[in-house]
Amino acid sequence: MKSYLKSLALTGTVILLGAGIYLYSGVYPMGADTPHNSATYWLLETLRERSVVRAAEELVVPADIKSAERLLAGGADYNDMCASCHLKPGVTENDFSLGLYPSPPNLTLSDSDEIQTQAADVEATNAAIKRQFWIIKHGIKASGMPAWGANHDDPRIWNMVAFLQRLPELSAVQYQILTARNKASKGHGH
Amino acid sequence: MNIKTITATLALTTLAFTLSAQAHSPSEHMQDAEAPNCAAMETMDHSKMKMDDPMMQAMMKQCMQAMHEGDHDDSETPDEPEKHEKDGDTNNFKHKHK
Repeated sequence: MKSYLKSLALTGTVILLGAGIYLYSGVYPMGADTPHNSATYWLLETLRERSVVRAAEELVVPADIKSAERLLAGGADYNDMCASCHLKPGVTENDFSLGLYPSPPNLTLSDSDEIQTQAADVEATNAAIKRQFWIIKHGIKASGMPAWGANHDDPRIWNMVAFLQRLPELSAVQYQILTARNKASKGHGH
Repeated sequence: MNIKTITATLALTTLAFTLSAQAHSPSEHMQDAEAPNCAAMETMDHSKMKMDDPMMQAMMKQCMQAMHEGDHDDSETPDEPEKHEKDGDTNNFKHKHK
């Protein structure tokens, strides 16, 4: 038993030492134009998804999340704050979507991993909505996704989430109408 | 350039940078805001439009607001909210766009 523990400690030390040497060697490519290897990608993606799911679990989706008021109020903010990375109808790529890594999901596509609102399972839909809210509010570390909650209140973020639910269905014309900032509306529905 | 001048310059630059990173209110976007292209709605297939769809309601609301703004811009006469209340938003929009 004693020798087993000894070899376990030795193995652990060698692994830590190796990891430290690798870390300080600077060999790992950090450029956004060099993708992670599949193991690192899986590790980071799993870490991100599990963390977001756990953190968003307790959120309560507003009952009027599908209302026209929220949809309209969220549209203008999406256009100003999100469209440059997450695109808009009729635009398939731009400098940010091409250059950022991980690549920001195209939220105009219904099969995007961010949008699952057409899912038959209401629970899954709710989970997806909560996830979107949490990500907009808190951002994602080292991904280029900022935490908008620092200076945007919850109702305003829910409005953006409401808009996201319908975004994949919008034509370029519908998008333009819904996201234009009317002087009368001032962009706030709630 | 003395130290006081340098300090003041640095402080002002930092303040300007900090303020630019503050929360933006929707009104800050109004300067470069574009008007909704509501004329394009006329070319849409109205038979496929569902009036109980929140998306359709949102588009109509948006265009109603834009039209009201246009009214304000075109003339100096005050708006008549009671007139629109009588017609109802949806009917008023349909009336103007058909």
